[in-house]
Amino acid sequence: MSSATSYYASTLLVYLGVDIMACWSLNLQYGVAGIYNFAWVIFQAAGAYTAGVLTLGPASGNGGFQQYILGLRLPYPLPVLAAGVVAGVLALLVGLVTLRRLRTDYQAMVMLVISVIAVLVVENVIRLFNGPAGLSLIPQPLGSLPLTTLGYQWFYVVLTAATCTVIYVFVHRVTSSPLGRALRATRDNEDAAAALGKDVVRLRLFIFVFGGVIAGISGAVLVQFIGAWSPGSWAYVETLVVLTAIIVGGTGNNAGVMFGALLVPVAFNEATRFIPQFGRPGLVDALQWIIIGLLALIFLWFWPQGIIAERRRRFPERPRVVRSGEGT
Amino acid sequence: MTGSVFVQSIGFGLVTASILALASVGFTLQFGVSNILNLAYGDVMTACAFAGYAVNQVGGSIAESLAAGAGFGAVASVLLNRLVYRPFVRHGTKLFGMVVVSLAVGIIIQNIVLAAYGATFFSYSFPPGRQVHILGMIFDTFQLMIIGLAVAAMALVQLLLTRTRLGKAMRATAANPSLARASGVSTERIVDLAWLISGALCGLAGVVLVLNTSAFQSATGSGFLVVIVAAAVLGGVGQPAGAMLASLVLGVITEVAAGFISPSFKEVIAFGVLVVVLLFRPAGLFGQGSTVREVAA
Repeated sequence: MSSATSYYASTLLVYLGVDIMACWSLNLQYGVAGIYNFAWVIFQAAGAYTAGVLTLGPASGNGGFQQYILGLRLPYPLPVLAAGVVAGVLALLVGLVTLRRLRTDYQAMVMLVISVIAVLVVENVIRLFNGPAGLSLIPQPLGSLPLTTLGYQWFYVVLTAATCTVIYVFVHRVTSSPLGRALRATRDNEDAAAALGKDVVRLRLFIFVFGGVIAGISGAVLVQFIGAWSPGSWAYVETLVVLTAIIVGGTGNNAGVMFGALLVPVAFNEATRFIPQFGRPGLVDALQWIIIGLLALIFLWFWPQGIIAERRRRFPERPRVVRSGEGT
Repeated sequence: MTGSVFVQSIGFGLVTASILALASVGFTLQFGVSNILNLAYGDVMTACAFAGYAVNQVGGSIAESLAAGAGFGAVASVLLNRLVYRPFVRHGTKLFGMVVVSLAVGIIIQNIVLAAYGATFFSYSFPPGRQVHILGMIFDTFQLMIIGLAVAAMALVQLLLTRTRLGKAMRATAANPSLARASGVSTERIVDLAWLISGALCGLAGVVLVLNTSAFQSATGSGFLVVIVAAAVLGGVGQPAGAMLASLVLGVITEVAAGFISPSFKEVIAFGVLVVVLLFRPAGLFGQGSTVREVAA
């Protein structure tokens, strides 16, 4: 493998890891629990910004060419963990407003509004995260290691894979547990789940925060790799890309959405980034978005369950109730 | 802030409220009747604005541009329902799926416009209007026309819904489609009509929106969608009268606050108003507490 190909492949693998975490996160909320989270990308952004300001160091230290809050230089795993915490707290706040009393169609609309408003706030309050220009020159974690550029690339691939593995353990624990069953029950029939004593709002709030934490971590892993983050990276349509990946891969299925992450964001968005531009500037981007939209429509029409459908869960029938006196 | 600036910002607020009212009444009317959350609405608005622009380029007047926008919006919305939304609903796509469908359709429309016109900004070129002073507020003739158009359209929609058999049939379809069908209402035609009216309002709103702002591009409508949705939710989704009131409230509050703080926070303030109202009235100002309804496409 030539070094250029190696560099390209390692970059794509990091993106794949980030997108897989993104798909798991939104799949927990939408696929498993049925929450219409059209604001998903703001939680990834919250994580990315948090990790950014916690690795950049004091804002005055770089000649003041960018301004931001906090400005600490924390050692490696801390910024990523903090990103998860901040995104989780944000999810809790958003969840408390939207998930408690609103009808589901209102939830979808309010989430969309929140997603757009968040971008406007960050763009206009420049001292938060440097406004429309965004953060840049974010140092990579453990950059002092004696590695070549290429070596570091593959080191970061391993780091991303390790993060994915840890996240998967948690995701799997949730989806395969009685908790996951309760979440799926609230998705399939909210009233029945409530009638059986499940606290629907609490369950949804929990998974909303849990998914938010993962979204934040995915943002942290991404920003520490690419070194920059700006409002252009998290327009509300980015949520549609992750959503399309989930629909294509298989809504509600952890393995399915991994496959979706490989097909949609990586194959369509990242890998095609290097095809030569033709036509007027922006034409290729426009065509990419049209294809993403068509992909969502085509799958919703022909394969609404996705490529790897959610496993239908069957449970052994419980033994018949035995009248007292007849059995043990 | 001096008193005259305050009065003037109320004037701006009335113009913003008029544009918002045209758009949000169209949005909420269609949602109320067919129960499909059409997130492509903002992008249809953009397409209508470009239809008005095309007419303007070949020397059309403002009236002709407005007519082109309204006509394009009406036809496009009916086709959108017939060719995309209704087939998906009949195919068995559920409420959430329909939201994703409309979002995908919106992205596709927006990027078709982008591919066709490019990423540059456009603006209408009409002869400049005169300035008119009313009660200390300064309007140009375009802005007065926008307010007049909105007032006329709102009056017509309200009359249609409350005073005609057609309006009664629409309200019946909105409240309970199966019962309306059983009572002899041709719900399919009513739904088509709702899309037609909604599309015409969407077109008018698209043209007056870009008439009132200096420049527009392929993402203008989807940017405005947020405020439309805020007005619709604030008024109680599916309630045209609520959307009218909410538009007035949001339009005036955002413009007055823009004078106090900064114009770039208009949408943020609209959102703040929305959140505060939803915390106390989760169904909006005029909304009913009804939960799940069947989709009538």
